[in-house]
Formats: sequence, structure tokens, C-alpha cells
Amino acid sequence: MAEALNYQELARRYGLEPIPESVLRLTQIVAKQDADIQEVAGVIAKDPALATRLLRGANPHARTEADYEIRTVDEALLRNGMGGALLLAMGTPLALALVKTFQTMLSLKLDSIDPNSAVPLAGQHLLGTIGFSGKAAGMVFLRLSLAAAAEVASRMLGLDPQELSEPGVVNDTVGELLNITTGNFKSNLCDAGLNCRLQPPRVSQTTDFAAPTMAGTMLERMAFRAGRTVVFVDVRVNPWNDE
Amino acid sequence: MATKILTVDDSRTIRLIVTRAFRAYDCAICEAGNGEEGLAVAAREKPDVIILDVTMPVMDGVTMLGKLKETPELKAIPVVMLTAESGRDNILQIARIGVRDYLVKPFKEEQLVEKVGRIVSLEKKAATAPAV
Repeated sequence: MAEALNYQELARRYGLEPIPESVLRLTQIVAKQDADIQEVAGVIAKDPALATRLLRGANPHARTEADYEIRTVDEALLRNGMGGALLLAMGTPLALALVKTFQTMLSLKLDSIDPNSAVPLAGQHLLGTIGFSGKAAGMVFLRLSLAAAAEVASRMLGLDPQELSEPGVVNDTVGELLNITTGNFKSNLCDAGLNCRLQPPRVSQTTDFAAPTMAGTMLERMAFRAGRTVVFVDVRVNPWNDE
Repeated sequence: MATKILTVDDSRTIRLIVTRAFRAYDCAICEAGNGEEGLAVAAREKPDVIILDVTMPVMDGVTMLGKLKETPELKAIPVVMLTAESGRDNILQIARIGVRDYLVKPFKEEQLVEKVGRIVSLEKKAATAPAV
């Protein structure tokens, strides 16, 4: 009976993985616009990876941790407000989804690296863009070199790189990787009460490595490496979309 | 007779991966790039199973699934959802309309073959005799 359907039973039957509890908790806390900043600070302070990312975001011009002017979680939350915590909460499921997608579809284990220490992409590279709108709104940008994109497509399709001559096949593959990653991310946001929907992905070549600016949004840049493959991900969020 | 599988996904990459997943089996793969095309191909080909994405242009997978279940000659075709959509509410909505199984992207080909193999019979292709 339809009424008797229960999500836990369905998840078990279909073999679905639940969202990590800590991520769900932080997203749920900051999704409440009247959340207590001390409660948020408590969750972040217990997770060194979250604290590192929060401090990195609060010190955007610092090249190294020694240059940080803002050194504590409390200071960073006071400086950037709850929007910064929301961005942090959203970046976590995005990073998890990206790592899982590359591991599952490409057998590539991505490790998170400091984006400030990664060598920027020079010249033409591939840029995938996807937007989301609703209670949470923003854009996700995925960048990788043309060589890395060809390797990714080759792995995903099980073809030799020289067999990728058909126009659009590399772009389609990168677009689908972005689609899968943001689809998982969007599902996590919806489960945390931030209902939103995705726009179709767009993939193009660019020489502009700078994260696009958008009024009223906050940005986090993340970087990942697997061997020679380096992937940059920018997430821009309008923290409190009115929709 | 070959098992007929319809893959409905706007990504050519996913359609290629689905085709590759079943290449060792005696299967005929039909493709459609959105729900509207998927309904037309399903009516024409009467597949044994449909592998269906959710987010697609023109007609999404949830709409196609609903229309499939409203069509007497198509409603018995088993559907496996293959989608990055893993939100609780969406899964409940799709389960209410009626699907046989659900596989969240990212996925491994073996998982897809296993899930489809629980619904329809998949026979390994006979080894081709070497040319003389």
C-alpha cells in the first residue's frame, strides 16, 4: 500500500546509503535561519576538516595558515555569519559526492588538497557549470585540464583516449559527472529541508580560472587530486534565498 | 530471444555505459533521450525492462513513469530507476507510482546488471567461434 511506504524500508530494499549524520546535523542546524551560533560552532569545532575549511574561507587572502588574521571558529562565524556556516555545510556533501562519483565511476580516489597550494590551471581548460535554485540557490563549477578531462572520459567509457574523437563525447562525460555529483548534493540539501532543483549542466572551454562573481553570494573553492588529475570545484551560494 | 532493455537517459554517456554493461549478455538495447521519446520507444519495442533517469529535458522520468503506469499495454513493464536523485521525498513519490528497483548514480555496472538480472533472465552470449 502506498500509505504504508516507509523511507527506511525503501532505502534498505534499494540498498541506498544514508547521508552522514554529522553533515545532516550541521545542514539542518544552519538551515534554520534562527540557529544558535554557539550550537553551530560546537558542531564545527568537533570536526577538524570543517574547522579548516571555515578558517580558510574566513581568510580568503591568506596564502598559508601563518597569514591568518582570523584564527578561531567563533571569530570566523562572527565575521562571516551563518551564511558562511551554511556554505560550509553545503560544501561537505558536495565534496563527498564528488569523491564518491570519481571512485565509483572512474576508480579514481580523489584526495582533498588545499586549493591555495594547487597549481592553477593555465590556458584552455574545461569548465562544467550547474545551477540550483529553491530554498538553497547557487552554482557549482567544476574545472579540469583538457588532458585530465580526456582521461576522465576515457576511464568512464572504457575507451582508449584516441577513441574519443567523436565531437562532444568528453564534454558529455564531464557534464554527466557534474550532474551525478550535484544530483547527490541536491538530494542531501532537500533531505535537510533546503528544497531545491537543478538546472541542466553546461560544459565549455575557458581560459578564465577565476571563480565567477555573483552578487549576494558566498564562495568556497575546493581542490582534489588523484595522481596527475587535479579537479577544482567552486560552489557559490546565496545563503538565504527567499524562494 | 534476446532480452530487450530500454535505457532512457538524456546523457549519451550513461546510455553508452548501460549498453556496455549488458554487452556480455544476449540483450538488445534500445535508447531514448527523454521521457517523451521513452514512451514512444516503449510502445513500439515493448521492452522487457526499462532503465529510467529522473531529470531529463522535454519530459522527466517521474512524468514518464506515471504515463507508463496509466497505459494498459505498458504498465506491466518493470522499471528500474537509475538516477542521481536520492532525496527521501522523491524516492517515496517514485515508489508510490511503482518501480521494481532503484539504483542511485554513481553506480557500478555490476550493480545494474545484478538488479536487472533479478527482474528478467539474462543469458550470457555464446562464445563466438574463431574465423577459419
